[in-house]
Amino acid sequence: MSQTMPSARQRRLRTWIFWAVPVLLLLLPLATNPYTQFIANGMLVSVLVTLGFTLTIGNLGQLAFANTAFFGIGAYASAILAAKLGVPWLLTIPLAGAFGALGGFLASAAALRGIRSYYLAIITLAFGELMRWGYTHFSPLTGGTDGTPMPRETLFGISLTDDTLKFYVFLGVTVLLVKGTLNLLRSRFGRAVMAVRENEIATASLAIPTSRVILVTFMWSGFVVGCAGALFARHVGHVFPESFGMLHLIASFAMVLVGGLGSVLGSVLGAVLLTALPEYLRAFPGMEELFFGLIVAGVLVLMPMGLASLLRRLSPIFVERHYREAP
Amino acid sequence: MKTFTSMLAAAALAATPLLAQDWETEGLSEDAITIGVMGPFSGNASSYSKALVGMMAYYDKVNEEGGVHGRKLIAVQEDTACDSAKGLAAAKKLISQDKVFMLQGNSCSGVALALRPTIEEAGLPWIVAHAVSDSISDPLAKNIFHGVPTGGANGRAMAAFVLSKPDTSNVAIIEHSNDWAHSYSNPARDYLEENGVSPSLELTMERGQTDATAQVLKLRQEKPDFIIAALYEAETAIFLRDLVKYGMGDVPVMGTAGTDLENTLKRTGDFETVQNYYVIHSYVDNLDGPLMQQWGEMIHKYNPDEELSTFSFVSIGSAEALVSALEAVGPDLTRSKLMAALEEVRDFDTGILSDPITWTPEDHQGVKGSAVAGFVDGEPTVLRAWGQPY
Repeated sequence: MSQTMPSARQRRLRTWIFWAVPVLLLLLPLATNPYTQFIANGMLVSVLVTLGFTLTIGNLGQLAFANTAFFGIGAYASAILAAKLGVPWLLTIPLAGAFGALGGFLASAAALRGIRSYYLAIITLAFGELMRWGYTHFSPLTGGTDGTPMPRETLFGISLTDDTLKFYVFLGVTVLLVKGTLNLLRSRFGRAVMAVRENEIATASLAIPTSRVILVTFMWSGFVVGCAGALFARHVGHVFPESFGMLHLIASFAMVLVGGLGSVLGSVLGAVLLTALPEYLRAFPGMEELFFGLIVAGVLVLMPMGLASLLRRLSPIFVERHYREAP
Repeated sequence: MKTFTSMLAAAALAATPLLAQDWETEGLSEDAITIGVMGPFSGNASSYSKALVGMMAYYDKVNEEGGVHGRKLIAVQEDTACDSAKGLAAAKKLISQDKVFMLQGNSCSGVALALRPTIEEAGLPWIVAHAVSDSISDPLAKNIFHGVPTGGANGRAMAAFVLSKPDTSNVAIIEHSNDWAHSYSNPARDYLEENGVSPSLELTMERGQTDATAQVLKLRQEKPDFIIAALYEAETAIFLRDLVKYGMGDVPVMGTAGTDLENTLKRTGDFETVQNYYVIHSYVDNLDGPLMQQWGEMIHKYNPDEELSTFSFVSIGSAEALVSALEAVGPDLTRSKLMAALEEVRDFDTGILSDPITWTPEDHQGVKGSAVAGFVDGEPTVLRAWGQPY
């Protein structure tokens, strides 16, 4: 399917929309209660998790499932730094991102050794499970199955249990990381990422250091998801090993696919929809899992390229330069 | 301007008691008390939601009898899926959107631990009716009450039963290397040491292990009088099977509340493996015993298809204590009055839990002990101590 690229005017409009949406979102707390605000905060965390995931699996084209490991690493790094070393939570966000990037570095080792496809999938899945084993068994550091509670803290004199305050911090971090990722994907480096996805050998023959491209993409993915982990730690206030298991991975993967594999816009849409959906389905006790499965399957059958493809059909404004639909 | 500011301040001051009054009676009406009930109604741990069935059947029974001072107990259920984020969403929904009067329920200690800061800050009464982690209600929070034996209480009850067997001095411990197991073994170890007994051997059996030969051979060398096993049900069955296999079937084993005599027997399929196995059993009788019959019938009356298990009864005792406190408050109910009444509950005999409920202003962990179940003359029997039927 050919894609109409946006004109210069449409690109300017797109930039305007990009900044207008978070500015409008600043008003959201006026319309929420603590419950709906909590859900909105969860959506922002999910956006970053999905964004990091789609980078490796969609943009780089590697069947890597270490995403939940990066998320857990970030969450535990933030919780441990805050609870045990007294580091202010705000400062733990980039530090958690750095730990997540380190996780990305370790996860990329398998890819750099030429391991691909299902083999890479199983190794990265094992990496995630290994991390979860670590959270459970390194009790003096992680609190074991009892987890690590986030310390009570204030920011600008307001308690960080306040969901509205958290929302503004989460929104700021999300906008920065989404913008950073978009810039990365639109850069020369981003084109190299896409080239690796399309044909790694051909890319290497053009003197593009594919190993470095893979390594940096995994690390950036780890950074983004690690930061999401720090937000999650403050979001729930207590970090447990169970939060970083296979169910979380499946949910994140569903968000990537429903939004549109490799699409930044799709990451946002998928995360928002699949975070909100289970809350709407609370009205159908006992049937939530069935309805959730049916809706996800329905979206994927009717829109195999994800929700972002719907918007792309609507207007070229939503066509992402780094994104290429399957023929 | 000064006058306007003064008027505004006066208005705000006048409104404060009204707002406090609103908070005190939120979720109450002339004929209903809304109670938020959180549990894992979906997901991997949804079987634990059975723990809330008994409590809600008790609400139904009270409602059928006219309610409490004319008010019906209306349960507003929310799913936690045994996940901390979903549990927090459920709690925030119940508190800020549904505006329930109080909360009761909760399986999954991890979720309850994550909820504690939010609920403590919200200040409405919360009775924990299934989750056992001591940290949910300790340190003390004014509005959080534990209505079942905690892990610590169960661990101490396990050790007390072990030491009640005459001439027991050599005790070994086998456990998983996770905090669930430690929540039983640590208080058990403390109790043993307080009574001059140090475990002679401490072994680990990891989750998913399908053979316990190495552990059993070490135990055979040590010849313990009693073994404390903080293991999940599947690993318990493997351990008991291997004990019999290596000629140690006559050594008594004390298990946690996470296992059940009948289910363990089903897993091993051999009575010889469980004839010396004892488990924490928080009830006054066997599940099919005469003292439990009325509770089973009550559950079936309101939930005809419910398949009864140990979990089905666990939350009834705390529901009874709640109703007793609501009755003590009288028709002029507020949240503060209810919490004060709960702190006055002393030695409350529920008729279902083996130990009474006592809540004081200094201690909200209401149930301090537990009975034990084991096979006596081939029949499952509830015991207060070694050789002493309940």
